[in-house]
Amino acid sequence: MLTRLIIHIAYSLQLSSIYQRSKRFFHNLLENPNSVIKPYFDVFMICLVMFNVFLLIREVNTPLTDAELLFEDILVGIFITEYLLRVWLYRDTHKIILEAYEKATYLGIPFNPAHAIKVIISTKLEYMLSPLALIDLLAILPGYRPLRMYRMLQMFRLFKLFRYFNSIKLFSEILASKRFDLYTLATFLGILVFIGSTAIYMFEFPAQNGHIKNLFDAFYFSVVTVATVGYGDISPQTNGGRIVTMALIMSGLGVLSFFVSIIVSAFNDKMTVLRENRVYTEIGRYNHFVIICGFGRVGQHIAAQLQKDKLQFVIIDTDPTSILFAKQSGYLAIQADASKNQILCNAGINAGATAVLCTTGNDVINVYITLTSRHLNPNIRIISRVNREENVQKFYQAGANNVIQPFEIAGMVVAEYVGQPVAFEAILGIIREEQQCVMETLCVQTDSMLDGQSLGSINFDQRKLLLIGVISENSLHSQHKNRYTIKNQHFYFNPPDHFKLQQGDLLMVMGRDYSIEHFRGLIERSRLTLRKKR
Amino acid sequence: MKRIAVFGYSSLSFEAMGRLTPDHYSLLFLAKNTDEAALVRAKGFAAETIDFRNDNELRAIGIGTDIDVIFCFYPDDSDNVFLTISARALDKHVSIIAIVDDPESAPKLLAAGANKIIDPYEICGRKTHEMLTRPDIANILDNTVFGRHDLKLAQIEIPHGSWLDNIRTDQLDLKNRHNLLLIAVVDNTLDEQLHFMTGGNPLVLKSGDILVVMGPTGKIKLFKNEVEHVGNR
Repeated sequence: MLTRLIIHIAYSLQLSSIYQRSKRFFHNLLENPNSVIKPYFDVFMICLVMFNVFLLIREVNTPLTDAELLFEDILVGIFITEYLLRVWLYRDTHKIILEAYEKATYLGIPFNPAHAIKVIISTKLEYMLSPLALIDLLAILPGYRPLRMYRMLQMFRLFKLFRYFNSIKLFSEILASKRFDLYTLATFLGILVFIGSTAIYMFEFPAQNGHIKNLFDAFYFSVVTVATVGYGDISPQTNGGRIVTMALIMSGLGVLSFFVSIIVSAFNDKMTVLRENRVYTEIGRYNHFVIICGFGRVGQHIAAQLQKDKLQFVIIDTDPTSILFAKQSGYLAIQADASKNQILCNAGINAGATAVLCTTGNDVINVYITLTSRHLNPNIRIISRVNREENVQKFYQAGANNVIQPFEIAGMVVAEYVGQPVAFEAILGIIREEQQCVMETLCVQTDSMLDGQSLGSINFDQRKLLLIGVISENSLHSQHKNRYTIKNQHFYFNPPDHFKLQQGDLLMVMGRDYSIEHFRGLIERSRLTLRKKR
Repeated sequence: MKRIAVFGYSSLSFEAMGRLTPDHYSLLFLAKNTDEAALVRAKGFAAETIDFRNDNELRAIGIGTDIDVIFCFYPDDSDNVFLTISARALDKHVSIIAIVDDPESAPKLLAAGANKIIDPYEICGRKTHEMLTRPDIANILDNTVFGRHDLKLAQIEIPHGSWLDNIRTDQLDLKNRHNLLLIAVVDNTLDEQLHFMTGGNPLVLKSGDILVVMGPTGKIKLFKNEVEHVGNR
């Protein structure tokens, strides 16, 4: 009966959206370093701890008031809640039960809830015995009145700051990552201090005016000398003692240098990862962005254009110089191989990215990135650069939507320039928005003023616009002349006045940007008015 | 017929040469060595071997006399700069089109006398950006105006005595009469700037002005013949 109840509860929790939502909320609040709310919570907790430290200092010579004691109680209440929430968040209890139950069902053996509970307890204990959880617990203990006298316990509240300061956390991680080096150094230091203490004791203790009165003095002197502090309260009186001191100072310098180099190299290693994490966090905040793979000359031009358009993008390149240049230009950049699944996933190929641009100078790499991107996201837009014409088909096979050939385009530019320089400069100027005129498309949406209208009834001339043509997939237009087939669409150049617009058609117009924007606004307003009327 | 001298063995050279029809252009590839010349000839283009650093050899192929356009497509910017300086010294009016590898070389090439600088990487970057931000327009233009469809962009200069002289642009009605769109006009008497025909004040056309029109090739040809036919319509 109890077993069935446990399984029922576990399944209910698994299916409960409220439970899942609350767990996600508290995870974001307490654990998720990339969440928006966690930094606010951390600052709040830091303020609480700092105020508590102030009270601790005050309590040394002044008894606390009732209000201050009440604050203490509230603080302990918050600490207890936080501690329990963290214990709760550490692994899903219901999942452990369900896993054990499903395993037992699969094997055809009876489900033993005691075994699952044992696993749950050991899992939770695993967390409770972790250093940060122990600090949390010790910070709560002074809240219990009989333990208040133990000031040492109250000091643990200070250690709670480790939890909320990322830099402190980072420093602990760095120390942990260099554990082996630090152990080696500590062993060497221990031996050095031991030899130094023994030698100085042997030389100085028998001396008549010697300052070393016992073995502890010798140990203290050795530590102070190795650390290159040298207070001067104890100084060697014998020649032997002075030689030992000199040796200790020289060795101390070596030890310090070694220690500094370990920490610096560890920081260097960690900083790269840290910077990358910061980039990924930043990408996580983007909704629609472009991934540029390759930051050579082509990538640089694209990035500059996208920045001008205020569009969001992230750059991936293996070359450290290119990445440095991208960062100096103020772009979001990752030094990594874009053909790796993990890198593209981290860069958000399935989390907000709208397009992947493969712009390296190597066709082999571009094909590989194209293929990887298509494999990871079947719907994303992929535009690839291809240097050799014979490879164009391979890019389409790999899943590229568009292929750009730098030398083909440049050749076309040259040929057009030779034949019709003025016409070509005009059209290029329009496309690049360098002239006073731009070319844009306007969509015929349902319920808008354009829907079902004939072109003759729209006075483009009065609106200071020039209609170039209509792009449409609609078969109703097929009787019109000047039809050019482009992929699965048709482009109707210079359509006649009786051309009746259909929903989904795109008008290709040319004009000043504000004329186009004004017309777009009118279309949008007409939609809203018609909807309101209905 | 325009005579074009092409320097520099690269995919860009072949791309440009392939797009220039032999009916309108006479192409001559200038190779650095005999092997290069043989490869170019194998692709169906006329080729000669010269040392571009030697002015006499440049003169011998017609620079300063009958070459109208020079393509400087060497992979090294320094070679292109040297060739541009040499060609400009030999002919003040020759049109020089040069490619640039390092963007810093662009002002040097212009100072050396090049008329047009082509940066393939910049063009590629811009093209990708167009594809990304305005795919419909980029797609249509690529497939029609710049592609294989019979829809082109053309410039037509109004000759002296043409019927277009003193005609207002709003009187032309190219849209209905010729199935053409008048995109812009270069007013040579006013400012030599492009004036786009997007419903502003109409311009009075004069001889020497250039019309930029868009439409089917056949219609452009007919209109061009009509414009260039001096006298009454």
